[in-house]
Amino acid sequence: MKTVECQGRTVRQINEAIRRLVEDGEPEILVRHPGARHNLAVAVVRDVAITIDGPAGYYAGGMSDGIRLRVRGSAGWGVAECLMSGEVVVEGNAGNGAAASIRGGTVVIRGDAAARAGIAMKGGLLVIGGRAGYMTGFMMQRGTIIICGDAGEALADSMYEGVVFVGGRIAELGNDAVVSDASPGELREIQATLARYGLPGPKAFRKVVSGRKLWNYDKKELDVWKAAF
Amino acid sequence: MCGIVGFFDKAGRPGRPLGATLLGMLDALACRGPDSSGIALWGEPADGLVVRVKMGEGEDALARRPAILREAARQGRVGATETQGALLRLVVAKAEPVELGAAIEAIAPDVEVVSIGRRLEIVKQVGAPANLEVEFGISRRRGTHGLGHTRLSTESRVDLSHSQPFWAHGTADLAIVHNGHITNYHRLRRVYEQEGVRFYTENDSEIIGIYLARKLGEGLSLREALEASLRDLDGSFSYLAATADAFGFAKDPFCLKPLIVSESADVVAIANEEIALQAALPEGYQAREAGGRAVAVWEVPDPASRLGARPRRARSRRRAA
Repeated sequence: MKTVECQGRTVRQINEAIRRLVEDGEPEILVRHPGARHNLAVAVVRDVAITIDGPAGYYAGGMSDGIRLRVRGSAGWGVAECLMSGEVVVEGNAGNGAAASIRGGTVVIRGDAAARAGIAMKGGLLVIGGRAGYMTGFMMQRGTIIICGDAGEALADSMYEGVVFVGGRIAELGNDAVVSDASPGELREIQATLARYGLPGPKAFRKVVSGRKLWNYDKKELDVWKAAF
Repeated sequence: MCGIVGFFDKAGRPGRPLGATLLGMLDALACRGPDSSGIALWGEPADGLVVRVKMGEGEDALARRPAILREAARQGRVGATETQGALLRLVVAKAEPVELGAAIEAIAPDVEVVSIGRRLEIVKQVGAPANLEVEFGISRRRGTHGLGHTRLSTESRVDLSHSQPFWAHGTADLAIVHNGHITNYHRLRRVYEQEGVRFYTENDSEIIGIYLARKLGEGLSLREALEASLRDLDGSFSYLAATADAFGFAKDPFCLKPLIVSESADVVAIANEEIALQAALPEGYQAREAGGRAVAVWEVPDPASRLGARPRRARSRRRAA
């Protein structure tokens, strides 16, 4: 394993050092003293295990493809934004917009995720070990979100497709979000996922999907549209 | 963007090296806005009211000093005085904050009282946080709690008056820092101006201090005032507010601005970005982004510090000539 030291370096220098190691085929990289700085380990497009040894700032691991990133601390806004494939695990809490617009891969927030986690997800899996904030799953288009704790207001607002599972209380459903019970098969899959990451979760989960009333404009349903806007 | 920071000692120890802590936190956020920066710090109660005055905007600002001291002496007993950068600091015993401020500001339109309080002092300036040390030696200041701001101006001018923290003019010891945009500012401002409130700037953040001063004047606690603001203020905001007795924050329902909070058994540290907490806290702290509509308030525990430092009722005033 090779180490990249953050102290005394600019973010650009840190990312250049990471990139050099990745291009040399180094399988495991430890990023020391991250100090909650932004844009660490972004745009990594190889299968490589990177550990950020402390809290990360904004966009950690963003725009990556194939990365296996672990953040030993909390992460700021937009962690793993636009991830194509791979795995990002945050051991602490995450700021707004965790896993925004991801197309694939898995993002695990062991603690709480703040507002708009999984916004505009186009695939992949987001697992939140704690609570999820306001507007989680907003305009989600595909993929799965698992929330072990409580979910905040406007959950899954205006989603197209995809599914959100919630283990705790739902403060309020978003526009056109429809809730039902998860099937036994889905529950088994959720429990297998949680076990894979050693996350304690509840037994029961509710399932939230799109009511599809906002898919097409219908004059007869003007009130639905007014509420959504 | 703007960067805001706050730090609070839960034991109410006034000897904490707060100036250095806040400066370190602000330095870490300087990239969020290097236009102007400032710090509000609540220290040991002074023997009277501590007044910070911007002496003017022109070349003749320093020449206003004798007139300011003369007017202050008419309102009370003037103790220590000191000039730091563009600000004059004086301690005035046996004076009322509203009358004292009005008398000093009547000297000229560009004379502005930046803060008045038994414990509160505000220093601010145009330029990055590092200049606060050069101009005011802020790292030597101590206190129980404080706020800091580093500004990226979006809609109003860049000068000392428009920079933050904002003292709630007329209300001793009340100050705020804000990141965001109050979108119903103009509507609220029209209402307040009709009631005789003077606005010192075109900065929408100024209205938060005015709003809170009025709520405290109506008898609300700081917590109640912050909660009421979630209803009455529109737009994006994460803001911190403090008096001599209490320290707290409020965040808008849509979570449009970041605010990371870390609370331990001893201290509370708050900032827009965790990078600022790194500068203030030992390793192993827990940090969490505040949720929508979040309000929290911590009270200064020492009852002695509250004597004579209760928020005063804000009185409406006519615009000074």
